[in-house]
Amino acid sequence: MITRSRRRLISATVRYAILSIWGVVAFFPIYWMVSTSFKPDIQWFAWPPVYFPDPPTLTNYMNVWLGAEQYDQTQYAISSQTPLVSLWNTTVIAFSSTFLAVAFGSVLAYGVSRYRILSEARMFQLLMLRMIPPIVVVAPLSLYYSALGLLDTRIGVIMVYFLTTLPYAVWMTKSFIDEVPREVEQAAEILGASRWRTVFEIVLPLIRSGLVATFLFILILTWSEYLLALIITKTQVSTLPIELSKYQGSTEGRVYGRQAALAVGITIPLMVVGLIIRKHLARGFSFGMIRR
Amino acid sequence: MAVDVLSAGKTQLPSMARTQSRRLAVRHFKLSLLLPLIALFAFLLMPVLLLQLYFSFHQWTVYLGSWSEADFVGLDLFREVLTDPRFGWAVVRSLAFATSSTLGCFVFGFLLAYLMYKPFRGQAFFYIIFILPMLTVPVVVAYTAEMMLYQSGPINDLISRIIGVDFKPAWLSNPDIALATVALLEIWNWTPFSFIILLAGLSAIPKEPIEAAEILGASKWRIFWEVQLPLLRPVIFLALVLRFLEAMAEFPKTWALFQGGPGSATETLPIYIFMTTWQYFQISKGAAMSYIVMLLMVVIVLIAIQLLRREKRSLDQMYELRAKEAES
Repeated sequence: MITRSRRRLISATVRYAILSIWGVVAFFPIYWMVSTSFKPDIQWFAWPPVYFPDPPTLTNYMNVWLGAEQYDQTQYAISSQTPLVSLWNTTVIAFSSTFLAVAFGSVLAYGVSRYRILSEARMFQLLMLRMIPPIVVVAPLSLYYSALGLLDTRIGVIMVYFLTTLPYAVWMTKSFIDEVPREVEQAAEILGASRWRTVFEIVLPLIRSGLVATFLFILILTWSEYLLALIITKTQVSTLPIELSKYQGSTEGRVYGRQAALAVGITIPLMVVGLIIRKHLARGFSFGMIRR
Repeated sequence: MAVDVLSAGKTQLPSMARTQSRRLAVRHFKLSLLLPLIALFAFLLMPVLLLQLYFSFHQWTVYLGSWSEADFVGLDLFREVLTDPRFGWAVVRSLAFATSSTLGCFVFGFLLAYLMYKPFRGQAFFYIIFILPMLTVPVVVAYTAEMMLYQSGPINDLISRIIGVDFKPAWLSNPDIALATVALLEIWNWTPFSFIILLAGLSAIPKEPIEAAEILGASKWRIFWEVQLPLLRPVIFLALVLRFLEAMAEFPKTWALFQGGPGSATETLPIYIFMTTWQYFQISKGAAMSYIVMLLMVVIVLIAIQLLRREKRSLDQMYELRAKEAES
């Protein structure tokens, strides 16, 4: 008996040790980003490294987000756009494209689940939209967009994000719709509800929480997208990830504190969203491979 | 008799018409469900793909006039790309990067998932900490890495303190390890992805076969290899395939940190295509390159899809069998 409880103790210790080590590895960079955002400029790049901001300062945040000294010191006057405008752009673009993807995706998913409008093979082919690297289409996309006058417009970015996130939206909402018993719809049909009413007033409300989870899941993707935004936005509607990279390109000196303050602002919404739907994350990626 | 036949015919006729109209209505409904997808393909995806095809056969760049009057050059551009050693190296780098980071994510993700699939104190806490890296924007990962990886930076400082020896690799400026640096960042960033789907997979494995094996006196090791691993195969497969494909497309971290440098150490396929198109403005060469990469990826993806579908089918069969057993 003693050896058994001892063995259990050892295995528990090993488990906590390994998990803690990885916990530190996973968390340290995030800590470093946050702490750098509170450091005064001499501590950004110091030797030996400064682990705790001393004294913590809000200068970086004031500067980056509110543009406190942006136009006195040319060094920091980097973008024609203030981050608050980018924040607004990112919010509008990410929310609208995600909304479109979930709205149309869930209707499509309903069709797939109940009427098999796409065969299983087609459903997997739909994933190609997501699996082929976007870099292979950005050049013709930007030419096509400039011909249509959609370059550097919100609607242009929204349409592309809509297209590229649609496969995930369809797959994820389908997994929720599959769980709704068909009897409910049959009852609605007998009571004389039209097919569209059945979709919008019976099925979709039943998977409300699933739709929210899908929405937030896709919001993570659209919020942090970089490559497409880099190409098809220029100055009018740049999103936050692009704004952050501008702090890199056009300065000689290192402006870590400013970058960190901006990075924290970009990351916090994403983490909040991710933690809200943490239980649904696996479903978003599993394409029907994981059953409960 | 005759009356009977007549009345039967009468009732049959309208009902046939009704099923037909119903079928038509269903078809309309199905079509209208599909319409948005068709519209997106027709107005966004197809024009872009056709333009891409056009440019890979016509020599054009931004300095020249209207692109619609570009010269037709046949397969010249494809020949140019395929004989370009830089392109070959980019392929090699991309494959090396994708393979190593995929395996890294898988090994760590699996280890963590295996340690965590049974409930224990602090499980929720570790889960939250472990998924955080996935919830940081990739560009942010790149800049944070730059803040930590300079030669006398905190990472080297901490490692030196722990191992007691001076540890000072130049993560960001040594061309021999630059690609490994990006791969490590990729692993840090995306291990959570492998972790969550493997964890979900491990927790979803039915308990009965494991309990049966335990009763029969099988060791943990044997249970792992002979019961859990085979049941987990579809999920493992998914973790590897998706991660590999995403890693092949990795752009933000590599670009934000290195722009292909130092030298050409981190010039992966996406980076090389990007530079060709947007820095050298060889739009047509970039297009031809993109087409080759796209075809390569389509082949890889089709194989992957084939395998994924096979795994899914065997999974479906297994669950059907279990449902039947449960019924009887």
